[in-house]
Amino acid sequence: MPPTTNRQLAVRLAVSRALGRTRDPDGVYGAALEALSECLNVSRASVLLFDPEGVMRFKAYRGLSREYRAAVEGHSPWTPDSVGAEPILVPDVTCEPSLRQYLPVFTRERIVALAFIPLVSLGRVIGKFMLYYDAPHAFDDEEIQLASVIAAAVAFAVERGRADEVARRSEAAPGFEPSAPPVGISRDVSALWAAEAFQAGQRQVLEMIATGAPLAQVLTLLVHVVEDQCEGIVCSVLLLDADDVHVRVGAAPSLPDEYSVRIDGQPVGPRAGSSGTVMQVGQPIIDTDIVCHCDSRWDVLREAAVATGLRACWSTPIPSTHKKVLGSFAMYCRTPRGPSREELRLIETAADLAGAAIDHHRSQLALRQSEERNRAILRAIPDWMFVMSSDGVFLDYHVKNPEALLMPPEAFLGKSMHEVLPTWLADAHQRAFERALATNEPERLEYSLEEHHERRFYEACIVRADGDRLLSIVRDISDRKHAELDAAAQRQELAHLNRVLILAEQSGALAHELSQPLAAILTNAQAARRLLDQSPLDLDELRGALDDVIKNDKRAGTVIHRLRELLKKSTTVLQPVDLNEVTREVLDLTHSDLLLRRMPITTALSPEIPPVLGDRVQLQQVILNLILNACDAMSTVAPAERELTLTTVADDGFVQIAVADRGVGIPEGQLDSVFDPFVTHRAHGLGLGLTISRSIVLAHRGRIQAENNADRGATFRCFLPVVNGQASAALASSHD
Amino acid sequence: MSELRAELGVYPYVPAVDTEGETALSEMTNPDPLNLVVVDDDEEVRTALRRLLRAMGHTVRVFASAEEYEATPVAADCLIVDLRLPGLNGFELLERLRLRGSSTPIVFITGDGGPSPNDTTAHAGTPSLAKPFDEHDLIAAITRALSAAQESAP
Repeated sequence: MPPTTNRQLAVRLAVSRALGRTRDPDGVYGAALEALSECLNVSRASVLLFDPEGVMRFKAYRGLSREYRAAVEGHSPWTPDSVGAEPILVPDVTCEPSLRQYLPVFTRERIVALAFIPLVSLGRVIGKFMLYYDAPHAFDDEEIQLASVIAAAVAFAVERGRADEVARRSEAAPGFEPSAPPVGISRDVSALWAAEAFQAGQRQVLEMIATGAPLAQVLTLLVHVVEDQCEGIVCSVLLLDADDVHVRVGAAPSLPDEYSVRIDGQPVGPRAGSSGTVMQVGQPIIDTDIVCHCDSRWDVLREAAVATGLRACWSTPIPSTHKKVLGSFAMYCRTPRGPSREELRLIETAADLAGAAIDHHRSQLALRQSEERNRAILRAIPDWMFVMSSDGVFLDYHVKNPEALLMPPEAFLGKSMHEVLPTWLADAHQRAFERALATNEPERLEYSLEEHHERRFYEACIVRADGDRLLSIVRDISDRKHAELDAAAQRQELAHLNRVLILAEQSGALAHELSQPLAAILTNAQAARRLLDQSPLDLDELRGALDDVIKNDKRAGTVIHRLRELLKKSTTVLQPVDLNEVTREVLDLTHSDLLLRRMPITTALSPEIPPVLGDRVQLQQVILNLILNACDAMSTVAPAERELTLTTVADDGFVQIAVADRGVGIPEGQLDSVFDPFVTHRAHGLGLGLTISRSIVLAHRGRIQAENNADRGATFRCFLPVVNGQASAALASSHD
Repeated sequence: MSELRAELGVYPYVPAVDTEGETALSEMTNPDPLNLVVVDDDEEVRTALRRLLRAMGHTVRVFASAEEYEATPVAADCLIVDLRLPGLNGFELLERLRLRGSSTPIVFITGDGGPSPNDTTAHAGTPSLAKPFDEHDLIAAITRALSAAQESAP
């Protein structure tokens, strides 16, 4: 993954910079330990080097006792001549037979896990890094790679320190010919000077990588740096395309154009020269003589190679930190021969550097692509984004269509929202900001504004960004809101239609409800007139008659009032409602109809129920519908067996009202569809009663369900949420 | 009181629609105060009817249901019965009385626009009144019920 590569590169640069600041060997070891503990979060570590006798000696350490150092000094899994040394990981020392003799020492020192990281310079092991853990440790690839990166840099610095020493000596004593190689160095001075030049070149390559120079430039510089090291050598870097199939020329500045043209775009494999083949096999290939080589892999390139005077080709795969092959590094030689050990090491180092450059380039590319993708997403989404400070100042914005904003960006950027937004809106935002900052959870805010004589609806999602800054993502939800409002209007139309139909059906009962008080009024009035003619006047009886006239007039008035409420097309009015009271009002209206239809009704209204937030008329309508439905279900049942029971009860944040009948019940499989429109078993009516009841209950954020009773008939239950702060706020806002 | 007796005695067959105004009423004399029973589940209607009929000089007993009346049968000259009652309704009460051989005259009153006062119902010409009804219509209906009972008597 890109972050890993970036981190490795960062560590590599940091270490080489740290090491570059010091030429003093102790400083190098100290910086190395520093880098180790910082990058790998290891508290105990050490650096050891082979002394001239080939014995491992502590050069620097952290958190190790003298006893421990004395006990383990000299131990090494490698000899000074070991080639291709790899890190050795010991997740648990008690499970490692080869370390058994050191177990008591480890135990005393509380060391449970270990890692040996070889310090390799120019292919040779010159020492090791040790990492120590006081608990079993599962090593991951990344930490080992990082340790190896640091080890490589330290090995480099050690060699450079020694070369400095040699150079100083030769300057101090002109003509000095070292009779024996200096400590730990088996090479002559010119080789060291070459190594020094190579280091400089290498540093330059690393710097180019770090500054983000184009990959082709970096690779070209690398090729030049390597070519400068060896007389008569030409190099190339080939890349494996992102499709993992085709070869691309990364850099081949000293090869003829024809060569590049021929190889570019070749599929990886046997015909793409040795450097194309190594990508497939993942192993170095040494072709000592291209001309004589019978292998078909030179068929395409032989002519071009020979025309340039190249006879041998030595290629090695360029590994990525993810162990994938990125390409190949090749050296061409004008004489048919194999590479020297020096040249081989050079190839490997160059391949490593090329790998770092390609990895870095690809991760940067991936990063840029993901940034571009992010920008594309930002462009594509319809939301508006504002970056705000916690006290409500607009810091930045991202808006696809700034002309749709309430005001141009320059009118709000840098200003407080209290200056540019209506006070109520700014206050609401401020409260949401405080909640978002306190809880770290996204806060939602819905509001509407009148714009150009049109009401627009918005939803803001406010999240804490970095630190105390907030991101407000605003979406225009007008279309959805208008659709919701249309649906609500439609629901109200239907609900009204349902009420009219109910009343039409109930006209007999309603007439009865009115004629009773009217009869009482007329009869009392006529009785009063007769009482006036009597002597002596029975004043008590007369007053009683008049009182009853008044009382029954009011009774008739109440009936008319309720009728009017049911019949008018009112908008929803939400208020705390006592469901028992609503139930009694409905029963008052239906009382005589139920009598006529021989529907004995029992009520069990719990006196303990809390108020629910609702529209009184709509809730009446629900209960009416359920009662009428129950009556219809029982119309074919013998009157003696009929029973209609209305129950109210508080039920965990809800008030439940249940209407139970002893009718025919709901056919199997229709328990859900009974609320669907036009599903009716009634001879009359539209079959909308239950549908509308459900929509009313849902609009009250409640639920309604039907079930068959165990013995007979069905029960319909409505659950309506109890009034509390939250519910009333939610309902109030939905009603804005 | 004498007016009502006069009304019932002198004008037993006068249809309610034909009343000649309120002055006629005060001139009426009725020598026979009647024992009347009112069965209506509506307390207000019940109370009002008792008040009016008493003011006319009759003796009135009221019951809230047919069952209540049957549990305490009282001798009555005429029953004024609401058709729509909890339990037994007005028609059923009439049937039961007739089955038991009682020929007590009955006037039905109804609250939901039932048969008009001059209609004869399926129940052998039992007079019916739709609430709200005028006192003249009530008197006329009672008078008709009484005379119908006399005619059908053996």
